[in-house]
Amino acid sequence: LAVKIDGSCHCGAIRYEAEVDPGKVSLCHCTDCQVLSGSAFRFAVRATEADFRILAGTPKIYVKTAESGAKRVQAFCPDCGTPLYATSAGDGPKVFGIRLGTARQRRELAPKRQFWCRSALEWLPLIPVAESCETQP
Amino acid sequence: MKIDGSCHCGAIRYEAEVEPDDVSICHCADCQALTGSAFRVTVSAPEEKFRLTAGKPGLYVKTAESGARRVQAFCGECGSPIYATSAGEGPKTYGLRVGTMRQRQALMPSRQIWRKSALAWVPPMDHLQTFPDED
Repeated sequence: LAVKIDGSCHCGAIRYEAEVDPGKVSLCHCTDCQVLSGSAFRFAVRATEADFRILAGTPKIYVKTAESGAKRVQAFCPDCGTPLYATSAGDGPKVFGIRLGTARQRRELAPKRQFWCRSALEWLPLIPVAESCETQP
Repeated sequence: MKIDGSCHCGAIRYEAEVEPDDVSICHCADCQALTGSAFRVTVSAPEEKFRLTAGKPGLYVKTAESGARRVQAFCGECGSPIYATSAGEGPKTYGLRVGTMRQRQALMPSRQIWRKSALAWVPPMDHLQTFPDED
């Protein structure tokens, strides 16, 4: 049961829409997500290439290399810095991890899974999520 | 407490001296958008206790619904949010983004603001000093 979402960066230069599965909403407590959000964790939903569309603007791309060597594209607004999505680097069909704080429907979507709990901030209370992983799934 | 941090790509580095009991969470819609997440975690430092040690952040001046203007600093290369501060003249206080700090595990929030716009699944955190809107 896909739901339509739409969102934008804070300044409005970049706008997107997507169709997402509410079961694919997740939190990520990895240290990369802490730094790139400037916050405690990331809140994201997955969308396939076919279900994600940029309607306005061109995000700036930063290619992050994880400790494992995995490369991942991080897209953000060059004007206001808002993080918009992450996706795979290189060729092949893409899956987008949309940053849900930017979505108009963010209140209607709750996380179903959380990753990298082993690096979660210690003060963070338990967040009721169906599935929790110490690292990645 | 001395802290230091950097953006993800390392182009911007900073150090500061902060009060560990001055850490706060902000659930306002602006912070949700600008983090891409559920809320912001910030600790403040006055001008004389904050120092950029490398790089120059991009600046975005955000105008709130109230008309208040606030400078948001982020890395132009990797997008990491670094701090917010007042626009215009006068002594500045920096709201440093705790997620970018090496010592982030040691900085526990003591209050939360704009709780009325918190996402429903975020635990209530009633042990924190809680304000429905601004503090």
